[in-house]
Amino acid sequence: MPSQSKDLYLPRPAEIREVIEENSQIKTFALSFIDREYQDRFSYAPGQFLMVSVPHCGEAPISVSSTPVSGGAIHLSVRRAGRLTAAMHGMRKGDVVGLRGPYGRPFPMAELAGRDLLFVAGGIGLAPLRSVINTCLAAGHGRRITILYGSRTPSDIAFKADLTSWGETANVSCLLTVDRAEPGWQGEVGLVTALLAQCRLEPDDAKALLCGPPMMIRAVLAELAERGFADEDIITTMERHMKCGVGICRHCHMDDKLVCRDGPVFTLQELKQLKVMELLG
Amino acid sequence: MKDKYLLKKDHLLPLLRKLKKTYRLIAPVRNTHGDTLFTAIDRLDEVRIDLDKQPQNSLKQFFFPQQEVLFTYDNPAGDSYHFQPVVEESPPSLYFGVRPCDLSAVLYMDVVFLKDAKDPSYLQKRQNSILVGLNCNDPFASCFCNVTRSGPFIDFGFDLQLTDLGDRFLVEFDRSRGQEIITSWQQFFAPAGEADVKAQYQSFLEARGKFSLQVHLDQAVRKLALGEVPESVWEELSMRCQDCGGCAYICPTCTCFTIHDLQTSDHAGERLRSWDACTFSGFTRMAGGHNPVDRQMRGIEKRFRHKLQFDVKKDNRPSCVGCGRCVNICFGGTDIVRFINMTCCENS
Ligand SMILES: Cc1cc2nc3c(=O)[nH]c(=O)nc-3n(C[C@H](O)[C@H](O)[C@H](O)COP(=O)(O)OP(=O)(O)OC[C@H]3O[C@@H](n4cnc5c(N)ncnc54)[C@H](O)[C@@H]3O)c2cc1C
Ligand code: SF4
Ligand code: SF4
Repeated sequence: MPSQSKDLYLPRPAEIREVIEENSQIKTFALSFIDREYQDRFSYAPGQFLMVSVPHCGEAPISVSSTPVSGGAIHLSVRRAGRLTAAMHGMRKGDVVGLRGPYGRPFPMAELAGRDLLFVAGGIGLAPLRSVINTCLAAGHGRRITILYGSRTPSDIAFKADLTSWGETANVSCLLTVDRAEPGWQGEVGLVTALLAQCRLEPDDAKALLCGPPMMIRAVLAELAERGFADEDIITTMERHMKCGVGICRHCHMDDKLVCRDGPVFTLQELKQLKVMELLG
Repeated sequence: MKDKYLLKKDHLLPLLRKLKKTYRLIAPVRNTHGDTLFTAIDRLDEVRIDLDKQPQNSLKQFFFPQQEVLFTYDNPAGDSYHFQPVVEESPPSLYFGVRPCDLSAVLYMDVVFLKDAKDPSYLQKRQNSILVGLNCNDPFASCFCNVTRSGPFIDFGFDLQLTDLGDRFLVEFDRSRGQEIITSWQQFFAPAGEADVKAQYQSFLEARGKFSLQVHLDQAVRKLALGEVPESVWEELSMRCQDCGGCAYICPTCTCFTIHDLQTSDHAGERLRSWDACTFSGFTRMAGGHNPVDRQMRGIEKRFRHKLQFDVKKDNRPSCVGCGRCVNICFGGTDIVRFINMTCCENS
């Protein structure tokens, strides 16, 4: 939905319909535009993000974590990281934020259809992938889906309802791991790369989508290369300080690319053309 | 000569007086401190238009102000939050005496602000602008537009372009709006003859020979493209940079900005955008303090790569227009000329 020139930077008020506490650091906000007609026309694709305004706090880019359904609520899953995100965590049902977007290049959904899919996420990184996974499932994706999710501790596991429902889906296997166990945790302890070792993968016919902290990305990339994944079949999202979201302010540069416009979704093949800190270590 | 006119120097002020009735007039003005700055002129008789010195500022601030309000907002309660666009129509403005470097810089800003997403404030100001250029017969000490290929003469991008021929200006136009001015104020213009055009060419040849700085731009561009700039260059320059942002602020083609809120009362505020500089350490810092750019070693890298590598790759020309302003302003000794020449002298 390209913005009209005259309101390029102008957010639209959106009401918080529901607040879901994912863990102590992450809340998912279900939002809809107050302008009903705009809400009905609004569309986006998995991987895109919105610029969220909170009074006196400016704006922050947040990925859409929901599945695009006409007129449906827009989910933003927000990790408390600083001023704006903390203020948002203090907001309740009925409160209003500003939204503009959607921006950015989405995941290549058409290329995912008909392939085995491997999703690897750490922490808040599951937010954009949740949008992809649920969109694929809603479209009746019949091939195997493997979801590997790493959290710091068992109480840090976010999106529990989704993880449970994915776990119950026939063609989906969903594996969790934590860095540090807590009393009562029976599951895996260790890096997501350890989970990867347990998976049956056919790299020639699969796509891998990764999203998480740079450390995790680096480790997983090394493992996937070892397993024979081609660079163009590995897709990830990049995070950079961002201000305008529309390719003008230049904060989110990565060499000659801008994350807001050329990303945030990139294939490893594309990233290897650039000097990217996440890959260099 | 078709489409080329003469304007007697005696006719310049009378012409500007007429034009000022229709346009807000912006021209290089020498102020009481002896500084020459592009200034919006209130009373033409009370100022001294200075076409001899290079203005210290460029036109950047007129199209892209150092700070501007994008919109205002109010939130009388948690469940309401409104945004009001700011309708600030900029008056039709005529920019007079714009040198080729600064004109090229405006054309570059057009790409930044209008190519993909169209920045509404810039668009409005630009649509309402007339650019009257002035070719440079006498490049200044820090100028190197000859190697950035944005001067000392230019033959496109202006509405009207003047070349100083002693007691008269040769006048050319590149846009219909320029032609309209000539048609509307015919009494000031006479058709130019072949000799005038020859004189213009002679001035151009002479101007080309007058540059005093040696700047090995093409060599630096090539080295950047091939990844042959020694690490020690980035390191040395980044360590010297004092993080003041002066080069970016003064530069006619540095356009990075930041956006932030200014609370004006309990329940209202303004969303502002202000000039920013990629050399600032906060430019790329993310929540939690994580910074994808090693500021100590590479803080200065983006500014030079952007202008001399990424823009060359994209548009086939550097986005440094060789105006020399950063050369004069940088007290850390990390200006673009220093970088270019270090790159070429250092063995890699
Ligand atoms: C494309 C994209 C998608 C994102 N998706 C999500 C998401 O789904 N969920 C989530 O919780 N977080 C997401 N983030 C990160 C989120 O934008 C930052 O955590 C947030 O901007 C921090 O703002 P703050 O005011 O709370 O923090 P502060 O540290 O107080 O931020 C100060 C300023 O720095 C800038 N800034 C700081 N960190 C970042 C950052 N990481 N990215 C961009 N700008 C930053 C902001 O402009 C902000 O105004 C995403 C970032 C990008 C670039
Ligand atoms: S850089 Fe070129 S165009 Fe600009 S003032 Fe110097 S000589 Fe004139
Ligand atoms: S980098 Fe320096 S010389 Fe080049 S345009 Fe900017 S201020 Fe002028």
